[in-house]
Amino acid sequence: MTTVPPEAAPSRRSLPFGLSASRIELQEYTLALVVVLLVIVGAVLEPDDFLNSDNMLNVLRQASVVGVLAIGMTFVIATGGIDLSVGSMVAAAAVAGGQVADSGSLAFLLGAIGMGVLLGGVNAGMIAYGRVVPFIATLAMFTMARGIALWLSDKTPVSIFQLEAVRWFGNGEVIGVPSAIIVFVAVTIVAWVLLNRTRYGRHVVAVGGNREAARIAGVKVQRIVFSVYVLSGICVAIAAILVSGRLASASPVIGNLYELDAIAAVVIGGTALSGGRATIVGTFLGVLTFALIFNLLTLMDLPTEIQQITKGVIILAAVLIQRRER
Amino acid sequence: MNFKRYVVPICAAFALGVAACGGDDDDGGGGATSGDGNGQSGTSAQSDGGPVKIAFSAPGADHGWMAAITENARNEAEELGDVDLEITEGVTDSAAQADQIETLIAGKPDALVVLPNEGDALTPVALKAMEAGIPVVNVDREFAEEGAYRTLITGDNYGIGWQAGNYFADQLKCQGNVVEIQGIAGISVTEQRSQGFRDAIQQRCQSGIKIIASQPADFLPDKGLSVMENILQAHDDIDAVYTHDDDMAEGVVSAIENANRQDEMFLTGAGGSKAAMDRIEQGGLYRATFLYNPSMSASAIRLARLIARGEGLQELAEPEVPSKIQVPATTVTEENVADVKELGF
Repeated sequence: MTTVPPEAAPSRRSLPFGLSASRIELQEYTLALVVVLLVIVGAVLEPDDFLNSDNMLNVLRQASVVGVLAIGMTFVIATGGIDLSVGSMVAAAAVAGGQVADSGSLAFLLGAIGMGVLLGGVNAGMIAYGRVVPFIATLAMFTMARGIALWLSDKTPVSIFQLEAVRWFGNGEVIGVPSAIIVFVAVTIVAWVLLNRTRYGRHVVAVGGNREAARIAGVKVQRIVFSVYVLSGICVAIAAILVSGRLASASPVIGNLYELDAIAAVVIGGTALSGGRATIVGTFLGVLTFALIFNLLTLMDLPTEIQQITKGVIILAAVLIQRRER
Repeated sequence: MNFKRYVVPICAAFALGVAACGGDDDDGGGGATSGDGNGQSGTSAQSDGGPVKIAFSAPGADHGWMAAITENARNEAEELGDVDLEITEGVTDSAAQADQIETLIAGKPDALVVLPNEGDALTPVALKAMEAGIPVVNVDREFAEEGAYRTLITGDNYGIGWQAGNYFADQLKCQGNVVEIQGIAGISVTEQRSQGFRDAIQQRCQSGIKIIASQPADFLPDKGLSVMENILQAHDDIDAVYTHDDDMAEGVVSAIENANRQDEMFLTGAGGSKAAMDRIEQGGLYRATFLYNPSMSASAIRLARLIARGEGLQELAEPEVPSKIQVPATTVTEENVADVKELGF
């Protein structure tokens, strides 16, 4: 929802920018339409199993892991960057927690958060101060983090069945709503406020819009770039806690290709891959779109090849619809 | 990780080997040659009691089973005592593994043990080794040409499916709804584990057992979790779940237990992990697994040693090592889990 054209870096949205802001709102509406359409299609094709509160909560809970990653990814992409390492980092963070699981739930949470922030910080340092291109820096982390996960865990998953508090994140609920969904929604709301209602959010988008203009306008560009990768690392830790709690184990092979799901959700949401334009609501809807597709196609027990083709077609269709609306 | 520890000793051994066996090099290269592969090297350099130099190459261990493959090979070589094993692993694509094997060939080992990332893609480099007079023991994934190996040792993926199918027929008395959680779609392991299962329940029960859902989860626990969560939404009456892998099954088990439906059904794995065997021992949801035994790499080291020495298997009449060996897929249940637990990985 926030858009800052190049020359207007840290300033607020006045009239000329209102135009492009409304464009992003339009994209959000069309994507919301896609989500509604998917729900209707699902209700027609699978009348018994699809549209009931149980399955809808299931879809939202499944969406929460990649969803949290996609929220972090939105900030990264808003600055014109990319983070290819989040999937591997989820495994590393989960395993780091698993290594100290004997000391209890709190140790697990701290271990996971520590590893997420540490690896996110390495990305951040390399990109912001080492001047490594984000694609390359996070590609390197993509392979390193997986290696760290396999190495720390000695290639075997650790059971965390005894950690009630961690398992609550994956399996608990508050008045009927799964805790993972509450975490996801909370992260989304915090991120929305951060991006749309704070100076920090405006700076993030400004850096992605026109780095030089932002610098001249007094934005601490390096610090902003640094912060978004750390933010992504924190989201990684949250995702790792959610998935480990659900699995009741810390496994070094989890998180495979999550980065692509997260990036796809951000992009069909309407955030520009080149930076300078970002929408949290769009990302949220993008994540829902993919979760609904996966759920519906599995309910229908379609063969995997049909699922893959369908998913691709829907990505293209979603983006095409948005383009036409321009 | 352990690779570094071996660099120095291997280099040292290498240097000594070149110095000591300099004269035998031609023999090694020319004597035990070529395509027919029946390395007739009764007079090879090794029969005089020196250590046998075996090179080992497997893809990077990103999975419990693959880790066990390398570990078992390493342990077996240490146990045998007279084997000088050079291990390379860690690559995840076929081209890189081919490069690795080229390097190993240049070191002129007495035998080469390879678990290829992809059988087809690594056939040329295996042929090259055979042509250089280095007998190749092919583990698990078969090369495209028989000339590319001296001996093939594989597990029995079809047998896993077949035994699972028979187990399901017995347990369900040929009546019920079954869910199949497959490995990676489109690879032979998945196809064979699936086909064997379908053939067995078809033959035993005709249409008595229905496969109501069949979805791949790529051998990954988190994918198994979410796929099973969706399937649980779609079906209210599931009697049993056949999964293609023990690690992946952990996620499927979590999905079922999280939904509190563990009393409705039973589940089986495949592979033979320690975690799976623990669960089988405890009883309950996880009822059986079917061994795809990573001990085959230990056997491969033994076979490579025998081939290099020009010896055969003592229990067989033939003086040479057989050209193909298939390790059976054992059904592991509560009854025999104690006996096979040490094989778990």
